[in-house]
Amino acid sequence: MATRESRPRRWRHSRSSEPDGASGAGWTWLILPALFVLTVIFFLPMAYLASFSLRPHIGAGTVGSGVTLANYVRFLSDPFYLGVLADTLLIGFVVVSICLLLGYPVAYFLARSRSRWRGVLIFLVVAPLLISTVIRNLGWLPILSDSGLINWVLLELGLTRSPMRLVNNTTGVIIALVHTFLPFMILALVTVIQKIGSDIEEAARNLGAGPLYTFFHVILPLSRPGLLAGYLVVFTSVISAFTTPAMMGGKRVLIMSTLIEQQIRSVLNYAFGAAAAMILLGVAIILTLSSLRQEAKQ
Amino acid sequence: MTTRSNFVLSGIVGIVLAFLMLPLVAVMVSSFSGGPPMAFPPQRFTLRWYEAISADYYGALRTSLIVAVGATALSVVIGTLAALALRRGRMRGQRLLSILCMSPLMVPTLVIGVAGFQFTLVLWDIFHLSIADTIIVLTLGHAAFCVPFVIRSALVAQAHYDLTLEEAAQNLGATPVETFFRVTLPLLMPGIITGGIFAFLASFDDVPVALLLGGSNTVTLPVKILTSIEFSFEASIMAVATLVVIVSLVLMLIVDRLIGLESLIGVGRG
Repeated sequence: MATRESRPRRWRHSRSSEPDGASGAGWTWLILPALFVLTVIFFLPMAYLASFSLRPHIGAGTVGSGVTLANYVRFLSDPFYLGVLADTLLIGFVVVSICLLLGYPVAYFLARSRSRWRGVLIFLVVAPLLISTVIRNLGWLPILSDSGLINWVLLELGLTRSPMRLVNNTTGVIIALVHTFLPFMILALVTVIQKIGSDIEEAARNLGAGPLYTFFHVILPLSRPGLLAGYLVVFTSVISAFTTPAMMGGKRVLIMSTLIEQQIRSVLNYAFGAAAAMILLGVAIILTLSSLRQEAKQ
Repeated sequence: MTTRSNFVLSGIVGIVLAFLMLPLVAVMVSSFSGGPPMAFPPQRFTLRWYEAISADYYGALRTSLIVAVGATALSVVIGTLAALALRRGRMRGQRLLSILCMSPLMVPTLVIGVAGFQFTLVLWDIFHLSIADTIIVLTLGHAAFCVPFVIRSALVAQAHYDLTLEEAAQNLGATPVETFFRVTLPLLMPGIITGGIFAFLASFDDVPVALLLGGSNTVTLPVKILTSIEFSFEASIMAVATLVVIVSLVLMLIVDRLIGLESLIGVGRG
């Protein structure tokens, strides 16, 4: 019997009979601490969240007993809340598309370059990721505020008479979200591009294709599933983000995350806040599952 | 690659990287400016914002560090054990278990925060247990999304790992315990460290969970900064932020030297 297994037979035997071996029933129990802790700090709270979303709201900070779909009906039948959901998805679409456009050239460069600057470039891409989101957002204020860098340039050049509003509105949220998620996009794209061998590209070049032709007819079609997977992953993170919209929107930009926080902390409608949270979770799970499917395709 | 397209590409790369660096530079520059914190151009150099950093910020930094260290330690211990079980154990529904262990990564942290907050209300209703606004509840809330980071990178570390090494150790006379501490654990260490770094960063970065589970006794640094700019924008916030940026960059260089940033990335949270 030809087998690719090169290990001695004896080992195979001990593997199943000896619990202290490299694998076996003895190891199974090690899952219990994590399961116990996650049950207490994650699964039970999530189950209660789901149950809160099905309870009636009977006053500030209290939920009644009984089961009702009223919170979901209220969300899904009111144009205002549907508009909030639509705005969330629209902002996600705009932010991730900008990330894709800005990130692709950088990712391509990092995936293909054998330059001695590659290490430095990777450091520069990763550096913002390791610094607190709040601090990165903070850095946009001296740039985008009424008396900040951009308005100073615009006023000095006489391009505008009064400062443009770039923070505490959707513009500020979009700029800061692009900045927050661009490194993730770049890293996802680097992996995708590295999977397409550079020899395919060279073959196209040798056959007379120009750089743009090669890009649109060879690289882009080959990287499409990976690209879509990366797009969906970043999209999910963007629509789930709370810190940046809360900080850059100055309580004026209402998207799913800021709506949920407002319901829980200011309006004190816990049942409706829970329902909105479940709806955001549903959207996030659908997107994550479809990105996993795309990834499997690549 | 032709020289011209190479040139264009390098130009675009330069501009995008400048965009990434811009706010970090802005934080540092404005922390040394004598003028109003949000105004451009910066005015005469001063260190007075650093002298003006109030004790609240150091307290908030302390809270953040305690919570992050606690959440990381808990995640590293139970996450490593879980990863060992998921790779070597023989149980029914192994796939389901690993999906369950990773599932917190699919849930927006704001939703984890809301669920945790409502759960503290439930605990109060049932047991009259008041745990909101304590370091412990914040640490546990952060652990919910930190554990999967450690499990994931400890699983990745085991994927490229030869189980026969342990067999060899035991054939040479090592006891199972010796094998675990002198073969298994050292081989898993890079993965555990990577997972631990991600867990720490995720906890240190978090706003929503800290905002929902915390209160006046447990203000973390990001929450403190977020709430301060809502009320009054003191320039010393920029000084605090600069200090954090500098410490982060130094730590990053150390990590780069020790395990390499490239091995760290590729497991980043999307």
